[in-house]
Amino acid sequence: MKDLIKQGLRLGSIFGVVIIFLILFGLTSTLSDILGEFVNLESRTRTGNPGGLIILFAILSLWAGSMATASDRSNWKPALVSGVSVSLIIALLISGFILLVGFLDSLDVAMRDYLAQLDHLSIQFLLYGRDLTTGVLLTFGIFFLFGILGALLTYWYEAKQAGEVIQKQVLVLKEKALDSKLAKQYKENPRSKWIGYGLLGLVVFITPQFLGKYWNYAMGTVGIYVLMGLGLNIVVGLAGLLDLGYVAFFAIGAYTAGLLTAPAPLPLQIGFWPVLIFSIVMAAFAGILLGIPVLRMRGDYLAIVTLGFGEIIRVLIRSDMLAPYVGGPQGIRDIAGPSLFGIAFSGKAYLYLIIFAILLIILFTNYLQNSKVGRAWMAMREDETVAQAMGINTLYYKLMAFATGAAFAGLGGALFAARNQYTGPADHTLMVSINVLSLLIVGGMGSIPGVIVGAFVLKGLPEILRELDLYRLLVFGGLLVFMMIMRPEGIWPAPRRRMELHEGELDVLPPEESLVGKEG
Amino acid sequence: MSETKPKKTTGRVNSFKIIQAIISVLFLAFLSWRLYNVISSGVYGPDTWVRFAISGLIIGSVYAVIAIGYTLVYGILFMINFAHGELMMIGAFSGYFVFEALKSIPVAATGMSFLDSYQIISVVLAFIVGMFMAALSGYFLEKIAYRPLRGAPRLIPLISAIGASIFLQNAAQVTFGPQRRTYTNPDALLRSQGWRIPIGGEEVILTYTGVLTFVLSILLLIGLYTLVMRTRYGRSMRAVAENKQTAALMGINVDRIISNTFIISGALGGAAGVMWGIHNGIIYHFVGFIPGIKAFTAAVLGGIGNIPGAMVGGLLLGIVESLGPAALGIDFQLKDVIAFSILVLILIFRPSGIVGEVLTEEKV
Repeated sequence: MKDLIKQGLRLGSIFGVVIIFLILFGLTSTLSDILGEFVNLESRTRTGNPGGLIILFAILSLWAGSMATASDRSNWKPALVSGVSVSLIIALLISGFILLVGFLDSLDVAMRDYLAQLDHLSIQFLLYGRDLTTGVLLTFGIFFLFGILGALLTYWYEAKQAGEVIQKQVLVLKEKALDSKLAKQYKENPRSKWIGYGLLGLVVFITPQFLGKYWNYAMGTVGIYVLMGLGLNIVVGLAGLLDLGYVAFFAIGAYTAGLLTAPAPLPLQIGFWPVLIFSIVMAAFAGILLGIPVLRMRGDYLAIVTLGFGEIIRVLIRSDMLAPYVGGPQGIRDIAGPSLFGIAFSGKAYLYLIIFAILLIILFTNYLQNSKVGRAWMAMREDETVAQAMGINTLYYKLMAFATGAAFAGLGGALFAARNQYTGPADHTLMVSINVLSLLIVGGMGSIPGVIVGAFVLKGLPEILRELDLYRLLVFGGLLVFMMIMRPEGIWPAPRRRMELHEGELDVLPPEESLVGKEG
Repeated sequence: MSETKPKKTTGRVNSFKIIQAIISVLFLAFLSWRLYNVISSGVYGPDTWVRFAISGLIIGSVYAVIAIGYTLVYGILFMINFAHGELMMIGAFSGYFVFEALKSIPVAATGMSFLDSYQIISVVLAFIVGMFMAALSGYFLEKIAYRPLRGAPRLIPLISAIGASIFLQNAAQVTFGPQRRTYTNPDALLRSQGWRIPIGGEEVILTYTGVLTFVLSILLLIGLYTLVMRTRYGRSMRAVAENKQTAALMGINVDRIISNTFIISGALGGAAGVMWGIHNGIIYHFVGFIPGIKAFTAAVLGGIGNIPGAMVGGLLLGIVESLGPAALGIDFQLKDVIAFSILVLILIFRPSGIVGEVLTEEKV
């Protein structure tokens, strides 16, 4: 009994603190807007939707209540005890916080100067547009009642074993579907794989026709990130070299394309296609140049050196010293776009160009991955010393990984610069490297479909959820930590990597022991 | 066969070393040529050089304090706590809020605000709160983002750390707003005030905030060194750094030591943040990032995992960074390039750092 209450109080305070942080981040009003729209509540104030807020709070407290019953769901008494303790502490924390904030606001304390989200309107919104007492009591009531309800519902769900019934039915349905004639035919036909690819290709080919201008642009960005992700996938995912300065090669590609095709600052104005090839070559060359000195480094040191390299490139391109040659902080304008037989690529056509480039790169990567080179990379990733002992020239293959990865980034950079007809230092911040790395991790390292999924999740989803734009990076950071803890292999992992990361769960050595062994 | 093999490897090492030596000699020759040109041209008078050196020492002492945080964590977990710069940011914001709060409290006896009436107490309070908040964040950072990943491949905690860093930066941005804020120092610590030292006919101002920063950093460093090297607790920390399993067998609570390491390194980061705020004056959500990377450079420069090394590395980096652009006659915008180039060069030519630490291959 005492343990239950203790546990409940602990969980409740965690939930309470997290919700207070959500309020401080201003995420509550954004989320309640989305929820309010979702259930079609029209009574919107200037800062948000009070109905949505009530729903949000109710969902959070239901969740907390159901989490509280995790230890004992067999009987209604412990469920009630933990439900009450959890919801009481949450309700006290949140309503206390809102009381404090509302009270300070009524005294005209300008909290907004220090906490950006707590302006007068937002506080009114937290009180559902009512006076202080009603608002606080309402909040208390919602958290308290829905918390208990959540606990009891979970108990009821367990008692009825409703979950198992549903699970069983889903399993039966799944088996039926797999046993059906169509599925069998599909599985047994050797050409079905190609039919699948064909269908996928058709979808990819047709979609740009139905997208508007804005979505074409957004999908183009996703595509360029897919290109860069495929490049970094070779460096990090296959060869196991953590590169945090990947944006350097993107910048080199973009700037090469920009400088050679734009009228200023260098009056060269060469056509797009030869310059595209040249950008790729330049980026690959830079990759080798960076690769040579760092060949002997491993792991974290490599990460920091590459990060330093990326920062050096960024500082250099925006410095006044090099401004006469690379444009300085203003960047380069009027970069030439590609054209073929006199027709300029723009809008849809450009998206097709990007898709075409992605297809080429995917075929190339696929070829590399299954060739001798790819196997050498993976061997190096697993254990460099052993790879060397097996006769793999690690220095050569490392350089090759750097060069290939850099070349893909250079291609992405050139396409990016030519599409925007502009490039500047602001396009080449550290965040680009981090974004590419994140999409690789979220998608699944070393897996080509993983890269595509990752790019859509990290670059495409924020376009759909525009309300969350302010919180994109916040969610990013949280997502990275969350993924590392819950699913380090990513959404669509390469089968080999999946096995590695879950090795400790099935295998002889528990992870703690293998770590100590490594330290020697 | 067993005789020829080692011969061959030593031969290769030697040729690599010869190339290294030639490159370093050429590089040094180029540097001294630039230095000679700049000094003989007389662009900067002696007072300017002293000014640069002073500001380098002060900023270097802040780097040193942050670098110790990296070194402590790296020494025990062999991971780069990428979010350490963000702990500094949290400390800087906490100190700022303390000053703002104290400024708004009037004291009847003096007719001034609390901040100006009891200046020493205010500064001490800012440091205590800043260190406490950063230490608390460090504790939870370890507990949430790193502890579940202990024993995972080394890439994974690093990525988690990057994620935590992005999260904390943006959390600060949405909570406190994106604008830059100016520290309101108490009257005695105005940033323009200081001792005036005449050098070569000009006056060089040695600011009070600078002296406070430098002295406090040195005190913190000495205190930490004593803690790690002279106390029983420090011995258990070193034992955990040496070998976790053996330390556990000796009756040391490894988890608690790791938690406390994060608390100590967070507190140091927080102190550095408050010093940064008091001395430099401007803070914003991104303030911890570049100093964090530079402090990591300093830690590597002195040999990571080595506490005196981090101090030397920090001071050296600060001086090189502020004297470097002037000495080489290049743009001051490029001082970050100098810092990062040093990092790259050190890691290539002397990965064990200048003070030195024997690194096994696994650590490098």
